[in-house]
Amino acid sequence: MLKSTIAPMLLTLHSKTKSNTILPLKTPVFCTLLPQSPPTVRRNASTNPLTIETPETPSYKLPPASAYIHLPFCRKRCHYCDFPIVALGSTSPETADDDPRILNYINTLIREIEATKTHFDPHPPLQTVFFGGGTPSLVPPRLVAKVLDTLRSRFGICLDAEISMEMDPGTFDDRKLKDLMGLGVNRVSLGVQAFQEELLKACGRAHGVKEVHEAIEIIGSCGVGNWSMDLISSLPNQTQEMWEESLRLTVEAQPNHVSVYDLQIEKDTKFGSLYTPGEFPLPSDTQSAKFYRMASRTLGEANYNHYEVSSYSKSSFECKHNYTYWINKPFYAFGLGSASYINGTRYSRPKKLKDYTNYVKNLEDGLVDLGEEDDVDEGEMAMDIVMLSFRTSKGLEFKSFVEDFGSEVAVELCKVYEPYMKSGHVLFLDDQRREITEDEFSSLVLDDERLENEIGFIRLSDPDGFLLSNELISLAFGVIDP
Amino acid sequence: MQKDNGQCPDVQNLWFTNSKLSQPTTTAMTMATTSLKLLSSQPPPHGNHHHHHHRTTTTTILSHNRLPIPLSNRTFYSLQPLHSSNNNYSRTHRRRYRVCCKAVDVKPKDASDFEATAIAGRDRLLKVPTEKIRNFSIIAHIDHGKSTLADKLLQVTGTVQTREMKEQFLDNMDLERERGITIKLQAARMRFVQDGEPYCLNLIDTPGHVDFSYEVSRSLAACEGALLVVDASQGVEAQTLANVYLALENNLEVIPVLNKIDLPGAEPSRVVQEIEEVIGLDCSNAIYCSAKEGIGINEILTAIVQRIPPPPDSAGRPLRALIFDSYYDAYRGVIVYFRVIDGTVKKGDRILFMASGKDYYADEIGVLSPNQQQVDELYAGEVGYMSASIRSVADARVGDTITHYGRKAEESLPGYKEATPMVFCGLFPVDADQFPDLRDALEKLQLNDAALKFEPETSSAMGFGFRCGFLGLLHMEIVQERLEREYNLTLITTAPSVVYRVHCVGGEIVECSNPSALPEQGKRKSIEEPMVKIEMLTPKDYIGSLMELSQDRRGDFKGMKFITETRASLTYEMPLAEMVGDFFDQLKSRSKGYASMEYSFIGYKESDLIKLDVLINGDGVEPLSTIVHKDKAYSVGRALTQKLKELIPRQMFKVPIQACIGTKVIASESLSAIRKDVLAKCYGGDISRKKKLLKKQAAGKKRMKAIGKVDVPQEAFMAVLKLEKEVL
Repeated sequence: MLKSTIAPMLLTLHSKTKSNTILPLKTPVFCTLLPQSPPTVRRNASTNPLTIETPETPSYKLPPASAYIHLPFCRKRCHYCDFPIVALGSTSPETADDDPRILNYINTLIREIEATKTHFDPHPPLQTVFFGGGTPSLVPPRLVAKVLDTLRSRFGICLDAEISMEMDPGTFDDRKLKDLMGLGVNRVSLGVQAFQEELLKACGRAHGVKEVHEAIEIIGSCGVGNWSMDLISSLPNQTQEMWEESLRLTVEAQPNHVSVYDLQIEKDTKFGSLYTPGEFPLPSDTQSAKFYRMASRTLGEANYNHYEVSSYSKSSFECKHNYTYWINKPFYAFGLGSASYINGTRYSRPKKLKDYTNYVKNLEDGLVDLGEEDDVDEGEMAMDIVMLSFRTSKGLEFKSFVEDFGSEVAVELCKVYEPYMKSGHVLFLDDQRREITEDEFSSLVLDDERLENEIGFIRLSDPDGFLLSNELISLAFGVIDP
Repeated sequence: MQKDNGQCPDVQNLWFTNSKLSQPTTTAMTMATTSLKLLSSQPPPHGNHHHHHHRTTTTTILSHNRLPIPLSNRTFYSLQPLHSSNNNYSRTHRRRYRVCCKAVDVKPKDASDFEATAIAGRDRLLKVPTEKIRNFSIIAHIDHGKSTLADKLLQVTGTVQTREMKEQFLDNMDLERERGITIKLQAARMRFVQDGEPYCLNLIDTPGHVDFSYEVSRSLAACEGALLVVDASQGVEAQTLANVYLALENNLEVIPVLNKIDLPGAEPSRVVQEIEEVIGLDCSNAIYCSAKEGIGINEILTAIVQRIPPPPDSAGRPLRALIFDSYYDAYRGVIVYFRVIDGTVKKGDRILFMASGKDYYADEIGVLSPNQQQVDELYAGEVGYMSASIRSVADARVGDTITHYGRKAEESLPGYKEATPMVFCGLFPVDADQFPDLRDALEKLQLNDAALKFEPETSSAMGFGFRCGFLGLLHMEIVQERLEREYNLTLITTAPSVVYRVHCVGGEIVECSNPSALPEQGKRKSIEEPMVKIEMLTPKDYIGSLMELSQDRRGDFKGMKFITETRASLTYEMPLAEMVGDFFDQLKSRSKGYASMEYSFIGYKESDLIKLDVLINGDGVEPLSTIVHKDKAYSVGRALTQKLKELIPRQMFKVPIQACIGTKVIASESLSAIRKDVLAKCYGGDISRKKKLLKKQAAGKKRMKAIGKVDVPQEAFMAVLKLEKEVL
């Protein structure tokens, strides 16, 4: 179970007039969970605050300690993907080395990092860097090095920072991986998706099962100590037997982390034009829920913690970078279509290469307004926090929610979840993370003050609550913004 | 000929675009010039259509109105149908049109016409002798072009300057403009000079829907004549027919006008024949017009002057003025629109409303032209408005007679009726906190709508709300929409019901407009339901389908007659309850939009009716209760549960849906639980799209009513109206 340190901070949430009518006017105290524990102090062992944040600074206004870097290149577009990518065609990794498209993009990316103004002085070094894509492993290590150097000189990178890279089977060999590790990449997220040839083919993946096994082999031989296996469930024509096999082979490969994504059919993709969710050859809702439960059970039995809706990890191997998202901490983002969160403002970069290049030019010319205003809507903030924290097994920290957004909305939230507590979708925990029983809750709910005092966390149950997270979160939205 | 065919669509398009742009003069001119160039190779128009002369004149005048520049050597354009000898009766044949252009020296007469129009417009408030007054209204089916014609009349008489012209001036409410129908009527005073004599023309607009037939009858009673506007390609519709009969009953001079003769499908001679046969109206001097293009407008004005009789000169008698409309103004109180039948009324007069018995001082009187313009006095025959700090439209109802408090008329004008709501439904706020807001909003609407009735209603499923009575379904929809739009309320509307008359065992008679309030089976002896006579006009191809529809709706066949070779009239008597649902929609869809209908209430009739209740997740949902004929109970029950299963979104648990008679379950369905609703991944921390989806989902929930643990959407409460397919 996750136990985290709580460092109480004072903060003044700037609220718009509109939300004042919903949420009581007060100066809330913001409690911040600090996930970026250094490797020596594991999260579940730590009891000391790691960073002392100055009072008056809300956590979303702190300097970001994480950076997402989008490397959009792929050999070809997968049939489920609607991401901002650049398909290179069937170039072999060797010739990709000098591909001018990659060179130009990396140059622009570096210019973006360099042109990014920070109001933070001094800037504490980055604790996590995440190369996502696309297929970042297609980018030659020397170019990755340039990006890391730029980040280092711009913001600094902690010596023990988590530096992750998404890698696809068939795009790297021993040497490339060793080079990357030499640059500081210390976490690999391997995009396996499935262990069945026919499924990989149907998804339009650029690799087969053979490359999957080779990639696992390479990761093992290079001694990557922290790696994740990424799988997709509910693929077209995927049978229960196939999914069982994928889960079994995953456990056998012994990654420290597993991500299981339930296939989402997006409108402007090949799958979007071919299939309707819930209809053959896609599994029915019931079948796909079953796949989700199977993953939760199989991986749980193999000692993986289901710490987030679609993430599983061995103890202390949670993805620190992704965790900053769930706890609403700020992060930088650079590159095509990437989304940053700085000073309470989310900003998405253009998704087309040409627009992105113009954007970087404008950024250099000081023409970009990233909209980092002081004016953060309290209701929007509350929705973000609920929606993100409910994805985690830790759940919503009730006390800090009360302090930030008032007891009225917090109590209302408990009441709206009462039936779902009884149906087993929502769990109420006390400060010691002991589950509050139905009888206890029935008496608590009669007394707002006791409710406020006794409840420490609200979380969605695994797997039933997680499976219906949209329903449950949208109920909370209804409470926050009636 | 091939070449002509190829060019014609372009010409038409240009022409239509042009006509839409009635305001910017220069644009209009540029367009005209463009069309000239395009057509320079066209031969001059041929064919000697007998309306040729009319059209040319009219267009000339219109073009003048558009021109800001000195009039000399202008080019005018006009539209000419090219007749081929054998296609007059063919619906499918597309006529070819040609723009004819010629350079004309503007004659002095034209220029003086133009000036005369401007002067007439300016002088329109001046008094004319009673014999120079003409009061008329326009009778037309929806879409047959009444509003466009009215606009054109205002424009041509200079009542509204072209640049001030909004499309469809008479329809004031946004809702009306959006739906293209007139709900509240308005009036307009125009001045028209004929042979050097100025005339005062008062156009009194009428609402175009059966729900408002009483209002129509009062408007007509304020007139001496009416233009019967019929779409030259569509023909007479049932609604038009009903209003023409009303006009004839009121002894109005009816002038037939065939509109949209410029359209390719126009068949004026067929429609003339239809009017003559159906209505029995002499159409030998029917006017062919295109309101949109300004063709035939002058002929219409001339006919109004020549054919409609002036009002009788009875200014010396005690005041009697007929209210044909009233509306509530937040600053001035109720504004009353009226026609002075006898006597005169002055500003400051103490007046009495004879039906309501209320008396007031007339703070302000004036005429509508089309905006309100104050005058000191109005005489018998004139049409105007009055404001008198009247608090509610119920004090000055349509049809009431205004007289002087000091010199009362002996008798009020005939025809006044109290509004009787025919259709009832429950209105409940989705959020219980909005109940007081809903009450305030209904009270405000009632100030302006004397036909709207409401009383509080409570239901265990829905909480506090109101049972509201309406003239008909359209009226109901309008009120509901205004409540949501203008008062920002989120409402659940229950399926409409009629008023049943329940004979109880004890001999008493209970009127029941709410199925869930129907006295228990043991306590009632019999139930009577309201019956209507319905007349449908349809092309003969759909007779079978409409008969089938009527029979399914418990209709009793009364008669059928062919009004022309291809169109027939069908008459049925049927329960009103069978009509308030989707009957009209069905009629339209089964006849591909060609049939029209009209109904009137004929009385009550005993029927073998029972109450059907609905349980959702074991909870009785009163607003879903419905009263049905015994023979239909099982099929309705089955269809209703199926429909509800379709309309209610799946919940996080399994939900049984049952239909019962008393305690006996006659149909049952079950809504399976949602298994999975999770978004897998927040790619690269980009949560904005996910958040948007969740917000949308949350917004969807807000529009639903929680019945016990189950979220039920608005559509489900109307489910009983949507059963057609399954029941049949």
